[in-house]
Amino acid sequence: MFSSLDVSTSALVAQRVRLNAIAGNLANMSTTHNEAGEAEPYQARFTVFEADSSLPGGAPGVKVSSVGVSDAEPRWKYDPGHPDAMKEGPHQGYVAYPNIDMTTEFVDALEATRAYEANIGVIEVTKSLAAQTLKIVA
Amino acid sequence: MLDSMFQSTTIPVLEQVMRFSQARHNVLAGNIANLDTPGYKSQDLSPEKFAQRLKAAIVARDEFSSTPKEPLEAGDASSASEQRVQFAAANPLSDVADGLDDILYHDESTGSLEKQVSAIAKNQMQHNLAVSVLSSQFRLLQAAISERA
Repeated sequence: MFSSLDVSTSALVAQRVRLNAIAGNLANMSTTHNEAGEAEPYQARFTVFEADSSLPGGAPGVKVSSVGVSDAEPRWKYDPGHPDAMKEGPHQGYVAYPNIDMTTEFVDALEATRAYEANIGVIEVTKSLAAQTLKIVA
Repeated sequence: MLDSMFQSTTIPVLEQVMRFSQARHNVLAGNIANLDTPGYKSQDLSPEKFAQRLKAAIVARDEFSSTPKEPLEAGDASSASEQRVQFAAANPLSDVADGLDDILYHDESTGSLEKQVSAIAKNQMQHNLAVSVLSSQFRLLQAAISERA
């Protein structure tokens, strides 16, 4: 019974990583430069979960297999005076902004929060089961 | 006399389990306190290694108590106290929880709060189990002494 705590803990860790990725996406909604300072719009990050059967106790846990970078098209905004505006090509005079939809990210954050709380609820149930079991002895 | 009365029960074993879980709780609480310290590597006491050492100590204790010993002479005070000292020194259970330093290891994952908290919860469950079984053992002894259930 103690090992079912490990399964719920793996879910807590994975949902927290997902929430961090969402927080990064929302923070960088208007970022037009990457870490090296070059003009490149921020691409949204997303997490990929995979089932993890290496935990004892029978039930598979979850682990983050990778944090991927989405390859969606950037959002073009016409602003010829901007220093990052494209100089030539079909998007001349347009600035490339990240294509991050605030509503979608917020709903994903809500889902991650509820999943986190649900796993904490399972941990509480496990703890109270263990306490009830000890009542047989005491 | 009290020593030998307790040695035949599970009370010394449970006492070692309780001391281990208290020591582990202190280490894990230190991890949580240092979550924001830069460069801090979280530590833990390994419960698997502790279980192995406890098992080996129980086997050693059973072998010791099953070898026949000479009966004590009534007027021979010095040899009685010598035998008591020998028995205490040979009791392997008394120093299982004393040398916990060599099962302290550095957990390579850098301090995730959820993992520390769940380790503390599991440790607490083990501690509560040891306490409950210990108190029921004492109640058994008391029933035997007072001859009342």
